[in-house]
Amino acid sequence: MRRILLVAVFLVLGYGLWVSPDLKEIAAGVALFLFGMISLENGFKSFMGGALETALRRSTDRLWKSIGFGIASTTLMQSSTLVSLVTISFVSAEMITLAAGIGIIMGANLGTTTGAWLIAGLGLRVDIAAYAMPMLIFGVILLLNRSRVLKGLGYLLMGIGFLFLGIHYMKEGFDAVQEGFDLAAYAVPGLPGLLLFTAIGMTVTVIMQSSHATLLVIITALAAGQVTYENALALAIGANLGSAFTTALGGLTANVGGKRLAVAHVLFNVMTAAVAVALIGQMAWAVDQISGWVGIAEDDFLLKLALFHTLFNLLGVVLLVPFVRPLERLLIRYVHFAPPPAEQPRFLFPESLKTPATAVTAVRNEVAHLYDNAHGLIAHGMSLRRRVIDSDASLSQAVRQTRRIMPLDVDDIYETKIKSLHSAIVGFIGEVHAREVSERWTEALYDLQQASRSIVEAVKATKHLHKNLSRYGISSSPPVREHYDGIRLQIARLLREIGELRTEEPGSVTILSLDSLKIGLERSSRERMDSINRMIRDRQIPPHIATSLMNDEAYAYEIGEKLIDASRVLLQSDEPGERIADERLALDDRDIERIAQGSKPAPGAAGETRP
Amino acid sequence: MKTKKLLARLAQFMNKDRATQREELEHIREVLKKLKKKEQRLREKLDSEPDDEERRELEGKLEVVHAQRTKGLERVKAIRNSRRESAGDPAPES
Repeated sequence: MRRILLVAVFLVLGYGLWVSPDLKEIAAGVALFLFGMISLENGFKSFMGGALETALRRSTDRLWKSIGFGIASTTLMQSSTLVSLVTISFVSAEMITLAAGIGIIMGANLGTTTGAWLIAGLGLRVDIAAYAMPMLIFGVILLLNRSRVLKGLGYLLMGIGFLFLGIHYMKEGFDAVQEGFDLAAYAVPGLPGLLLFTAIGMTVTVIMQSSHATLLVIITALAAGQVTYENALALAIGANLGSAFTTALGGLTANVGGKRLAVAHVLFNVMTAAVAVALIGQMAWAVDQISGWVGIAEDDFLLKLALFHTLFNLLGVVLLVPFVRPLERLLIRYVHFAPPPAEQPRFLFPESLKTPATAVTAVRNEVAHLYDNAHGLIAHGMSLRRRVIDSDASLSQAVRQTRRIMPLDVDDIYETKIKSLHSAIVGFIGEVHAREVSERWTEALYDLQQASRSIVEAVKATKHLHKNLSRYGISSSPPVREHYDGIRLQIARLLREIGELRTEEPGSVTILSLDSLKIGLERSSRERMDSINRMIRDRQIPPHIATSLMNDEAYAYEIGEKLIDASRVLLQSDEPGERIADERLALDDRDIERIAQGSKPAPGAAGETRP
Repeated sequence: MKTKKLLARLAQFMNKDRATQREELEHIREVLKKLKKKEQRLREKLDSEPDDEERRELEGKLEVVHAQRTKGLERVKAIRNSRRESAGDPAPES
């Protein structure tokens, strides 16, 4: 479909450019304008670093803050599409709530109206092409620098330069058209005209993927008298509708959260457009009244169009603000997409690659998903039901009462539920690395990749352990049975405790709890090794079973160790300060060894101070 | 005014280590508070736990929290001493 559309656009444009030199100038203006917007986006992405993400996270606790953030960021960046797509990626990564996302989208709709004021108030009244040239020259010089900030500034300057140049070419093009023929002769009055031009505005925006570019065309055409004021109002309504569809296309590749936000955006813009179409007469009257109060001349249709654009978007926001929470509830209740099966990634979407913060959160969520899969597999590998582990039921009783070892094709489950996800995580991390990311995010991704690997290794160790467990797990020899019961109980407790820690809020105290799990693991392993040695000494078990027990002890230790390592990464706080505190207070290998052995700290060591 | 601003910036830059230390101190104190609460909770649980195996588990956890708090307090002491030294004050005799 997209290809057919592309070919059609090429053919129509090609023919148009061939027959009309004026159209060439207008189209070149639009192309330069769009290129300027792309440069501006690039500039903001590299220049602002993580500032946009940080601001976005902090602006979500109140609806007014979300709306304010939407207005401010879109006004600054002059691209509601960029703000909307970044917001979708944040909602997809579950970094902000759906309601906060709706607030930002509403604000972005309002913020984008500043573009119309800039074009109408400044762009067409001042010879901006004169400013464009120095900006392009300085922009390119800055772009040649290595520094990320200077490069970002270069993109910003070039972006503004191309925007100005685009506006200039469009103005020239429409002025030339005006001398040739009058497009306004094709104006359609009344309701049919309103609907027709709304549809045209929407289509043009969907094709150009920028409501700003459409507004530029509308305003320059209006300035040149090529479109009537009434039809220009309809085109502006259409441009608003079209921008929602651009976001909706972005939302298609996101997960259910992002899709819900895209639906909210479409609903909001359709509703705003419907109200604007229904109340077009009253809105035009209101524009005339307000224009009179603020000193806009009666025949200054450019500023009146900008005012209309702001007014109907403001009306949409005012109408929807009381219904944001109910809308959120409705979307969560009714917008469902079948969740992907456990073996498929749930968070790794191209949308998550929009910013390093969303990409890292997506990877973290996916590693947590991998952990969940491993949790189920390891529980079954220990012949215990997952629901027993996740409940308050006595684990020692469940282990003691086991009458048969569950048959399990660990290899098959490893291939389908573990390896495929691990590969997807590694591939996604590679994609993030292909973009420019700072050291902080690179480190976070490295830790997550290690965590994913630890989970895989824990599962591999389960595979080996399960083989002997099937053979000796319910052995008639009491010491052997007791030994395997000990291993199963140890791993089951570990799974339960980590599961409980994962439901708590991430932070220092949660992550420090892992130290006691590590010591518990160390102690139990030592006790069991002592017990094996005793059994060999007392000839309670033959040597070939003793070696199996020793191997399985090593596998059990590996499972525990790797699960704790992976959880450490998953439970880590995002706050750098808290991370440092964790590092300072966490027990090192020596402390763990000492406590596991049950010895007191050496004189002069940390233990001398009484807390 | 400009010189004053410049000097203030320079002082801020020189004190960057102190600022980092202060931040670390604040975070550790915060964690120590939480750990103290956790220790109290564990002690209460231990007092009312009749099962021997569970008691042993709780005692193990208490031991770990105790060791972590000790490490934290040692770190707080070390930062305080280093701040005192950099400010030119002699460390109090222990």
